Amino acid sequence: MLLNRTSSGGRWRIRPDGPAKVTGELTYLTDMTKEDMLYGLVLRSEHPHARIISVQTDKAKQLQGVHAVLTYMDVPGLNAFGIAHPDQPVLCEDRARYVGDAIATVAAETLAIAQQALEQIEVEYEILPPVDDPELAILDDAPLLHPQGNTLHRTAFNRGDAEEGFKLCTHIIEETYYTPRQMHTYMETEGGLFVPGDDGRLTVYSPTQHGFMDRLQLSRILAIPQSDIRIVSSPIGGSFGGKDELNVQPYGALLAVNTGRPIKMHNSRWESVRAGLKRHPMKITMKTGTDADGKLLAHQVYIISDTGPYSTLGAEVLNFATEHVIGPYRYEHLDVKGVSVFTNNGMSGEFRGFGGNQAIFALEGQMDRLAERLGLEPWAFRKLNMRQLDDLGPFDQPIAMTEGADQVWDAVSTSPLWLEREKIPLEGQSAAEPWIKTGIGAAFTMHGAGLGVGIPDPAGGRLELAVDGKIEAVFGYEEFGQGLIAALEQMLIEQFDFAQEDIRIIIGDTDVVPDSGSTTASRATAMMWKSLQRLHTPFTEQLLERAGAIVGRPAEQLRLSEGGVRKKVGDELLITYGELAKAEGEPIRCETSFVFPTSPTDRVGAHFMYTYSAVAVKVELNTLTGRVKVLQQYHAVAAGPVINPQGFLGQIEGGSSMALGFALMEDAVMEKGHYMTRNLDTYLVPTIADQRGKIEVQPIEHLPENDEHGPRGIGEVGSVTLAPAIAAAIHQASGKWVTKLPIDPSYLQETPFFLSKAVNGE
Amino acid sequence: MSDKAAEVQVPFQLQCSVNGELKTIAAPPSTRLLTILRDEMELTGTKRSCEIGRCGACMVLIDGRAVNSCLTMAYQCAGKQITTIEGLSANGLDPIQQAFLEEGGFQCGYCTPGMIVSVKSLLDDKPNPNVDEVAEALSGNICRCTGYGGIWRAVQRAIEGRRYWK
Ligand code: FES
Ligand code: FES
Repeated sequence: MLLNRTSSGGRWRIRPDGPAKVTGELTYLTDMTKEDMLYGLVLRSEHPHARIISVQTDKAKQLQGVHAVLTYMDVPGLNAFGIAHPDQPVLCEDRARYVGDAIATVAAETLAIAQQALEQIEVEYEILPPVDDPELAILDDAPLLHPQGNTLHRTAFNRGDAEEGFKLCTHIIEETYYTPRQMHTYMETEGGLFVPGDDGRLTVYSPTQHGFMDRLQLSRILAIPQSDIRIVSSPIGGSFGGKDELNVQPYGALLAVNTGRPIKMHNSRWESVRAGLKRHPMKITMKTGTDADGKLLAHQVYIISDTGPYSTLGAEVLNFATEHVIGPYRYEHLDVKGVSVFTNNGMSGEFRGFGGNQAIFALEGQMDRLAERLGLEPWAFRKLNMRQLDDLGPFDQPIAMTEGADQVWDAVSTSPLWLEREKIPLEGQSAAEPWIKTGIGAAFTMHGAGLGVGIPDPAGGRLELAVDGKIEAVFGYEEFGQGLIAALEQMLIEQFDFAQEDIRIIIGDTDVVPDSGSTTASRATAMMWKSLQRLHTPFTEQLLERAGAIVGRPAEQLRLSEGGVRKKVGDELLITYGELAKAEGEPIRCETSFVFPTSPTDRVGAHFMYTYSAVAVKVELNTLTGRVKVLQQYHAVAAGPVINPQGFLGQIEGGSSMALGFALMEDAVMEKGHYMTRNLDTYLVPTIADQRGKIEVQPIEHLPENDEHGPRGIGEVGSVTLAPAIAAAIHQASGKWVTKLPIDPSYLQETPFFLSKAVNGE
Repeated sequence: MSDKAAEVQVPFQLQCSVNGELKTIAAPPSTRLLTILRDEMELTGTKRSCEIGRCGACMVLIDGRAVNSCLTMAYQCAGKQITTIEGLSANGLDPIQQAFLEEGGFQCGYCTPGMIVSVKSLLDDKPNPNVDEVAEALSGNICRCTGYGGIWRAVQRAIEGRRYWK
């Protein structure tokens, strides 16, 4: 059944954070102010690559209203940050490696004075040639950006002998695919409020996807114990992976500690563009061959990824891409290699899909080309080579078995949209407007969830009965719009029979929540579900036993319900949660912690849990303009039970909109290490006018009987499968193969027949 | 010279109505309305995002029409009626807000106040807009989270709801 409001019935709920959002009452962390606060700004490098000879701050310091001008010499602890490997300077010492590199930071009484102070800082640079091409950057004669060289990370995966395999192939497709530097474009730019307390502690109100990681990183930079830092990190005006790494926090924190005053920071859009993360641009070369019947024999891949100047999660993204260029297919021989390269371009890092987007675009492109070469229907070709139920994962690792691949394949093959494909004449011509062509394409994915083998991936949470009688659910996850609070509330209501009013949800504050791990990698909902599964029995027992003791009945005869505890039979309310909280005894509270399930393999980055998705899409191509309109989308998503229908639909719709931008319009173009875009007038994301087509979402909830993992992640999968489906649809419409995203309209433009007639003088 | 100096000494005072209340605000005439609302009046429901008129996060109603407050200067507001998102729900939720809630026309919510203000301006002007008119009216409001599916549904529901309530 398609997912919508009607089909969801009573499970379609108004989000608990909704009223404050639609009325504008919700205070985002960048809305916060405090009496006495100062404004913080950062001076960033003018050049993508330069030696810093000197930084003079005297003039800036003398300006009236300026309270601090800090350089690297003022960083008390580690002058570096980075989630996986801290190598990005907080404030550069002698070298700038990209146009977002920070050199100094100032605090002043007004924004205007802070701005003036930045202008008064004199930096003497020796400009160095920018290393802006990752392919040149790994050559032996390239200037070194880091002492260990320009290679951040290499990956390789082999099975059989690909060279021998190709000798046996009847059909071989070789192609190179390019993907863009996509920007997260969260509507709320980075910022927050940094408040030094009288007790010597620092409170940081700033969005992040993992408060405890920020706390750890800031404690290293400030050289103070973690316990002296409190991170409040939700609500967040969008993140999509982009705010997982530190952004303004080091500067706000340093300035607050230095001045003893609250510091407000809120990036302008240009500041956000130049300093912030983007999706890794990748060049992926593939050679894939089949036998005469279309059975895949050999697959060879080389990925080169532009990671920018510093590590952040560049290595992990490459690991993910390496796994996903193999994907849900069977091959006899595999030879996959990848390299992530330092350059003086913008920072690349975590972004929804995490390297899957690039990998799947390339892999699915190969499948469509091979099918055409073989004269097979593209979906049938996939079936022929698709993984089977008990197959190992892409890295030959054990995975949590589901029927997802078959399920989503079946769903698309019988969907009305896909069936319509045969009816479109080969070139998708319309008689009245022959320059308008339509086409239908589809693509297929298995997308990993969780951080994978080799990265600490803790999870957990706590339930307790608060003194005021509220059932408190306390988790270290963040709400950046995905609907985490709504999902948690719905699980508490449906699994425990609490009423909405009985519940208080506490997240995003390192002083009170347990470390539940990061809110990334499509993992949070699954981890909350698992936590509640583990907490259900002990927490219920504690509540019922206390209640039983008070009302004088055995706990077995009681049940949890809306408002309080009732008899198992009958409706009479025996005791409210408020009364229960007032009763004497130990606090009622249960906590659980565990790790995200991983595959028993040594292969770093290999996943255990996967979400399967398949997408069919119909496009309309105007060959006069080369513009592509997406008319209709059908998404089949096999991710186990739907926890929150509205949130599920929103994740797939929202993710696919990002994929539409990735395919058709988005690229933060750089030239010689400089951004050619500064704001949303030159970086275009989809608007409502681009999203007029119909989108259908078909969740497939069925899991194997003994499955104990419950819901799979859906936060990313909506964003990875659409681009290759669009490319396939364009091929049906125009006969052209797309190799580069975003698709250049001029590539799809055709000389109209009436013009070619005129030229030919007919 | 002396005339000019005298002119400068009379500080500009913006007089306008904000959410139905008459206000006198001392601000240089070129101050952006967005700054006045957020920083002076603490009406932070109006959001700051691009500051060049491209995203609609800062949308407010000026005399009933949707306007980007990041592009509007104080002097342009003199004598005008300004309504922010806070003003829309002064007497309980507007049917448009209710529709966004029920249909899930938001996720992170950062674009939502501006989006709702634009819908309000559209529907006050054209109670039964067609699809093209909706697309046109909202194409200056970027939502990065929802993909606009929930927003289309919310607008549709708001149109029906307003018909019903009238
Ligand atoms: S902030 Fe005004 S339009 Fe973007
Ligand atoms: S809900 Fe996040 S930008 Fe629209």
